Amino acid sequence: MGDLIEVLLGFMDKGGDVLWLIAALLFVMWTLIFERFWYFQMGWKKDVAQVIAKWEGRPERKSWEAFQIRQMMISQSRMQINRNLPVIKTLVALCPLLGLLGTVTGMIEVFNIMAVTGGGDAKSMAGGVQQATIPTMAGMVAALSGVFANTYVTRIAQREGEFLQDNLTTDH
Amino acid sequence: MSVKFVKAAALALTGVLSFSASAVMAQEAKSLDELLNYVKQGQVTEAKENRAREAKFSKDKANQAAALKRAEAERARQEQLSAELEAKFEENQLLIAAKQEQLQERLGTLTELFGHLTSAAGDLSSNLEVSLASAQYPGREVFLKDLIDKMSSSDQLPSIEEIERVWFELMREIRETGVVTKFDAEVASPAGERAPREVLRVGAFNLVDTDGNYLSYDSGSLSELPRQPSGPYTGWAADLANATGGLNSFGIDPTGPTGGSFLAAIIDTPTLEERWHQGGYVGYAITAVGIFAFLLAIWRMIVLTAVGAKVNSQLKSDKANDNNPLGRVLKIHEDNPTMDTETLELKLSEGVLKETPKLESGLTLLKIIAAVAPLMGLLGTVTGMIITFQAITIFGAGDPKAMAGGISGALITTVLGLLVAIPTVLLHTVVNGRAQRIIHILDEQTTGMIAEHTEANLRS
Repeated sequence: MGDLIEVLLGFMDKGGDVLWLIAALLFVMWTLIFERFWYFQMGWKKDVAQVIAKWEGRPERKSWEAFQIRQMMISQSRMQINRNLPVIKTLVALCPLLGLLGTVTGMIEVFNIMAVTGGGDAKSMAGGVQQATIPTMAGMVAALSGVFANTYVTRIAQREGEFLQDNLTTDH
Repeated sequence: MSVKFVKAAALALTGVLSFSASAVMAQEAKSLDELLNYVKQGQVTEAKENRAREAKFSKDKANQAAALKRAEAERARQEQLSAELEAKFEENQLLIAAKQEQLQERLGTLTELFGHLTSAAGDLSSNLEVSLASAQYPGREVFLKDLIDKMSSSDQLPSIEEIERVWFELMREIRETGVVTKFDAEVASPAGERAPREVLRVGAFNLVDTDGNYLSYDSGSLSELPRQPSGPYTGWAADLANATGGLNSFGIDPTGPTGGSFLAAIIDTPTLEERWHQGGYVGYAITAVGIFAFLLAIWRMIVLTAVGAKVNSQLKSDKANDNNPLGRVLKIHEDNPTMDTETLELKLSEGVLKETPKLESGLTLLKIIAAVAPLMGLLGTVTGMIITFQAITIFGAGDPKAMAGGISGALITTVLGLLVAIPTVLLHTVVNGRAQRIIHILDEQTTGMIAEHTEANLRS
């Protein structure tokens, strides 16, 4: 376990400060994704049952009023379902951008070392090259993991929205 | 001999003539007759003088011959002395050769030993000249130089005290490279003023003063580095200089005896502010745009949070309050309770349309900034590259340092662009989320609320 932490810290050290930013971003992103999973697993069932019960409890479901109220209920539920989804999407899009930031800072480091040593020392430049390449890779991996999770969560949200809409029938 | 005398006499005569002529001229003849008279007188006196001189010379002639004879006798004596001395010199040289042979014989293996001593003293002397410990103990190499001079001359041998002192200096250098000590020394500031300071020496690696400034030691004099390493390095130095005990972290540079190349590289690395200035005008423009975007986002966030809170309280109350968008839309119904549903829907969507732009204002600008900032960074990088490559076409690519420095500076704007774009995108998402929530409520839920309200009224 201690070795693993050491390896991880060594990796973070090689990648530079941007890697910590990517790590923080990844953490926030997955926290939000898990929150959505949690909600769909735990809270949503109760909420949808409540909404359907309220709709079914109405004396009539055909008038203009009933139709508008149905619209409102669907809209409110959709807001519940889609909460945080745009933020997750943005965070996924930001991961490669942060990787790019790491690449550019790493390249600055490389050229800076080159400007000091005159380019003769390939070993000292290797540190900058590592700083340039590791964040790009980390950003890509983070974005990929986020893309899959985001697609999955978005699909669940869409399906549940449609499920609700189908269950609020206008007549029996 | 006589010819010489005549020549000398002639020379003297011309001298007298020219002198008397000028004397005559000086008397300033009043008329031609008077001048003639002067000339005549002069001739008479000169002839008299010449005769007297001739008589004197002929009397001297006998004396001169006697002097010549004496000089010749002296020369003969000296020549004899020289021959005697030459014979003695030859004799002595033979003696010296014999003595030297004797010396070599007696020295035997000691010759080799003295050779080693000379080379060891030479190495030590050149080491001490660049060693930082010499800042604390100046003048050590003078003794060694004298010793080497003494040993390279053929007629002197080092004394046992001197040999032991070489040993002592070697041991002292070994010891001093392994200790951290404080001492007082005269240090030149970057402005060139010399003043005594308390100096801390870390082995043979670094010299710092008690304020944490790094010093350089060059040919016997200490001076403060004009540009100090940034960040933690001077802090470490100050901590170590003021520490009284225990363990202190301190960075040493083992790559060179005085300072070294790593320290130089750290000093040459630009600070954050200098890096920012490397971005040039494009960099400043990006920074300005970034600050504007940040302020705009904060302002919209505050506004939308306040509006959101009012909308929330409106959702809970029955009365339409026109301090918030939802209340203003609901008021349309409250003012005309008897309106038929189709006109009501039209009027409501009209009211929503009126509210939406106010809620969404500034959001498009934020999005544009998020998209444009990286492009501006790219622009700065490309212009920087163009300048660098123009410099290469003029000066050639012989110096990779100049080229690398230019590219490193050019990339700064890309970093700035990304640093502006990333938070702006995030802020836009958050602010847009707040705006969209209110718009959703207005757009999709107002009619429902009115419907619920009328139903409740009908029931009661």
